Amino acid sequence: MIEVRGLTKRFGRTVAVNDLSFDVRPGRVTGFLGPNGSGKSTSMRCMLALDRPDAGGALFDGRAYGTIHDPLFEVGALLDAGYVHPGRNGRNHLRTIAASNGIKDARVDEVLALVGLTDAAKRRVGQYSLGMRQRLGLASVLLGDPNVIILDEPANGLDPEGIRWIRDVLTHLAGQGKTVLVSSHLLSEMAQMADDLVIIGMGQLIQTGTVDEFVARNARHWVRVRSPQIAAIADPLRAGGATVTVLDDAGANIAPGIDVIGSTAAEIGELAARHNVILHELAPQQGSLEDAFLEATAGAQEYRSVAPASPPPPPHVPAQPNDWSAPS
Amino acid sequence: MMHLLRSEWLKLRTVRVNYILGIIAAAFPIVVIALIAALSGEPGSTANDLVGAVTATMLLTAIMLGVIGALNLTTEYSHNTIRTSFAAVPQRVKVLGAKAAVTLLVVVVFAALVELITYSIGAGILSSRDAPVTIDGSDRAALLGAVVLAGMLAMLGYGLGLLIRNSPATVSILILWPLLLESIVRGVLSAAGIENPTPWLPYQSALQMANPDLGSGDPTRVRAGLFLGVVVIMFVTVGVFVNERRDA
Repeated sequence: MIEVRGLTKRFGRTVAVNDLSFDVRPGRVTGFLGPNGSGKSTSMRCMLALDRPDAGGALFDGRAYGTIHDPLFEVGALLDAGYVHPGRNGRNHLRTIAASNGIKDARVDEVLALVGLTDAAKRRVGQYSLGMRQRLGLASVLLGDPNVIILDEPANGLDPEGIRWIRDVLTHLAGQGKTVLVSSHLLSEMAQMADDLVIIGMGQLIQTGTVDEFVARNARHWVRVRSPQIAAIADPLRAGGATVTVLDDAGANIAPGIDVIGSTAAEIGELAARHNVILHELAPQQGSLEDAFLEATAGAQEYRSVAPASPPPPPHVPAQPNDWSAPS
Repeated sequence: MMHLLRSEWLKLRTVRVNYILGIIAAAFPIVVIALIAALSGEPGSTANDLVGAVTATMLLTAIMLGVIGALNLTTEYSHNTIRTSFAAVPQRVKVLGAKAAVTLLVVVVFAALVELITYSIGAGILSSRDAPVTIDGSDRAALLGAVVLAGMLAMLGYGLGLLIRNSPATVSILILWPLLLESIVRGVLSAAGIENPTPWLPYQSALQMANPDLGSGDPTRVRAGLFLGVVVIMFVTVGVFVNERRDA
């Protein structure tokens, strides 16, 4: 269990993390999400006593990190796979960490095998790919078989097989009752991996809760309708106040379609029956975690990119009130 | 604490650059003294001459060991492994203390071994040429002083590294301090009318610890090394204090 309370960190006049509070529960993978510069890494460094917070802090099973003796047995953390001496080989890198907490070399060899680096153990880390460094970093996390695991962007640089592997490892560890906090920009991966989410923006908590609740609350919802008589259903929907977007993908084997916002599938089905309209498709649609994330953090992005010249055509939805577990 | 000492020992001996610096630090006095002893045709070469030559060549060894002391710390910052170290043991003073202890112990033992080998080679060559070598108390003290100086320079590099955290800057200052900075200060002090500026220069003063020919008017070896010792302690203490408080 991780309890973060009132965490505040300033760099000069810049407030990197502002009064951040959240819990990370055992037995679950908790995704720590936020736009670039939102304070995720700073928060993690403060939690691990690497950065000195100006106020607040974090407790790991009731204890501050700085007070834990031999913390590798209780908290395993990987903040950056690049935190290695390139001239040292992978095994010796792990041995230096393990020795500081009294962990035997035999355990080093075990975790090297677990992450698939046994054959590369004697190679200098400077020759490792980024994916291999991520694996080495995860090996260092596993050295003490800790109950709490904190990972900052662990999938960075991994190939698809590696990403699946790390997902399986983390869900397996959570299944063992461990507390897993992981930040990532790969939202599709997070959607498959995480049970809970902590969303921050500009150093402040935006939302917390389960992934399903978050997506249901923040992602766009619409109904896709296809019919050879599409105008006969679109017109009454517009008249009833729904927003209708015509799809331009109709072809020989696919009926014309519309995306409808503002009416449920049941309402559209009943409307079609009343107007004797044949429907080929009536499918409720929901945006992805990525859509929900972008919606939730729309006002909390420090760095914004310019929209592409031809943006993809998601249905336009008016901003929704955002009261899902939002901090007061 | 034993776990930390083992960890720091592993760090020190698992990086290739330390071996390269160690080889240079050992080879220079050994080769130079062997050449001097072999090529010197002076029949009257004495133990005092040999000790003077050994301690003089050991100065480069001491500076190289100072570089090892500095790099042992600054590379942790340049590669950010200090964060891994502090995450593994959040009690930073313990980590820094263990690193200092291992660095000091390794440097002192290494310097003593190099000096012993260097002296033995020189003495062996001279003895083989019917110039038996016997050393007196002053020679022994000078040899010991060179080892102490090596330890001090290693800790000076370590202290500078704690404050600067940057390898090139720390090594540059460590090397330029004796070679350039104190020469400039000496010139300034002399221009200001100070007849003997050496006591005001920590490194120059500490060199007297390794001088086998101390005169009756010179300060004792302990007093000669005191200034540099105080400077080293001050740097290390302030460095540990600053690192305890600021972000890793």
